[in-house]
Amino acid sequence: MNLVTIMTDFSAKIKNFAGLSLSLAKAEFKLRNEGSYLGIIWYLLDPLLMFLVLLIIFSGRMGEEIIHYPMYLLLGIVMFNFFQKVTLESTRMIREHRHIIKSIKFPHKVLNSSVVLKTLLSHLFEMIVIAAFLVYYGVGLKGLLLYPLILIPFTVFIFSASIILSSLYVYFVDIENIWAFLSRILWFATPIFYSTEPGTRLYTVGLLNPLFYFLTVARDVVVYGQTPETWLIAGGVGYTLITLLIGTILFKKLDKRLPELI
Amino acid sequence: MKKIILDQVSKKFRIGFTKNQTALARVASTLSGREPQKELWALKDVTLTVDSGTILGILGENGSGKSTLLRVIAGIYQADGGAIKTNGKIISLIGLNIGLQDRLTMKDNIHLCCSMFGLSRKTIRERFDEIVDYAELNEFTNTKLYQFSSGMLQRLAFSMAIHCNPEILLLDEIFEVGDEHFKKKSTETLKKLVGKGATILLVTHELWMIQKYCDKAIWMEEGKIKRHGNTEDVIPNYLQQKPVNAT
Repeated sequence: MNLVTIMTDFSAKIKNFAGLSLSLAKAEFKLRNEGSYLGIIWYLLDPLLMFLVLLIIFSGRMGEEIIHYPMYLLLGIVMFNFFQKVTLESTRMIREHRHIIKSIKFPHKVLNSSVVLKTLLSHLFEMIVIAAFLVYYGVGLKGLLLYPLILIPFTVFIFSASIILSSLYVYFVDIENIWAFLSRILWFATPIFYSTEPGTRLYTVGLLNPLFYFLTVARDVVVYGQTPETWLIAGGVGYTLITLLIGTILFKKLDKRLPELI
Repeated sequence: MKKIILDQVSKKFRIGFTKNQTALARVASTLSGREPQKELWALKDVTLTVDSGTILGILGENGSGKSTLLRVIAGIYQADGGAIKTNGKIISLIGLNIGLQDRLTMKDNIHLCCSMFGLSRKTIRERFDEIVDYAELNEFTNTKLYQFSSGMLQRLAFSMAIHCNPEILLLDEIFEVGDEHFKKKSTETLKKLVGKGATILLVTHELWMIQKYCDKAIWMEEGKIKRHGNTEDVIPNYLQQKPVNAT
């Protein structure tokens, strides 16, 4: 087989993978919004309500010391939501699609990529709200234009986490409950409504949390219009690569046997 | 042309009590060091060659390995031994589990399922009308599938499968679908496909169906091919040894 054939085959596979992911994402998006007259409003209502509640509770306390606290808070909620929605759905993805996995040969990773794509769309809607808030608070949109540079590795990180969690279903059928609990703990352990100072125990523990890097870098760029420190960028990229590596190894190990294991 | 070549293909399953465990149960069984498992050979040294333009019937009792054989050929299950070679695009219709979504319209389902069968978005758009026309469901394009009867669902699944360029069609208990008129139409279509060189593997418990449509047949028992040959030889042999099951 010559190089041209290999490249043509590879590009056809990628095209097929992308087309299938998109079709699945569209179908899931429609299923989720079935019979909903408010439609897309529901996507925005959840983070906005959470934002309002947290703003009311914390703006006068820990929020006082944080510049542009409403922006700081909203961006944290929206980014964590993206991660949480994808990962929670990933824990039940294999169970929900087990019949088709056993009946048709298709690249199983499209299930992960379709969930990521679908949630990415709602994340982009949420970012429009953030843009409106940025204008309202006079922060400006300059930093937001650079957000895609953060969103790309963040999406890869979330996709990798999705692969790991969906694979774990094969080992633990109650992974959905376990992850619902763990992700709640992660919500509190991530500086969403508070900030951490270097030297504190919370800060040191936070360094083990991949979301800390993405949130800090995004806030630096979008809210504060400043260049993030290199080690923070390296942390985000590093965690993405590690997660991707673990996810790929785990999935590769399970993928071929998946239809018979579920 | 040989469409399917299986050489000494085997497939085993580990039937254990450790499948579908919760995290706590998994930890407990790992710590106790006891994970009782039993090996079941669903296929054992299966050697089979199927030429193009053939309809091969597969018969046998429940648990004899018929569906596993289809899944191994389709590449859904990985074989544990032997070699498999297939030439051509495989479409598997194992029941109606092709990803049909009850809460989506027929139009959305066609786009989704044909994507699963490997058709590009452009090709699906081009063939959409043909698929709907063939299934005779023109009035239901925007109807959600939960309102479809089982016959309508079968017609839709069948129409999608044959419009996705199958060169090897794997059918598990799906052959004659819909009402009498559609059964006739679908059978003619399959014969035309076979005439163009496609290969069909049909798993069914309906012996008359194999007798009527299949040139060749295999009888499977305990994961092995017990008989392989012309339909008129295999079925009497099967009936002789399994008279109760064949009624």
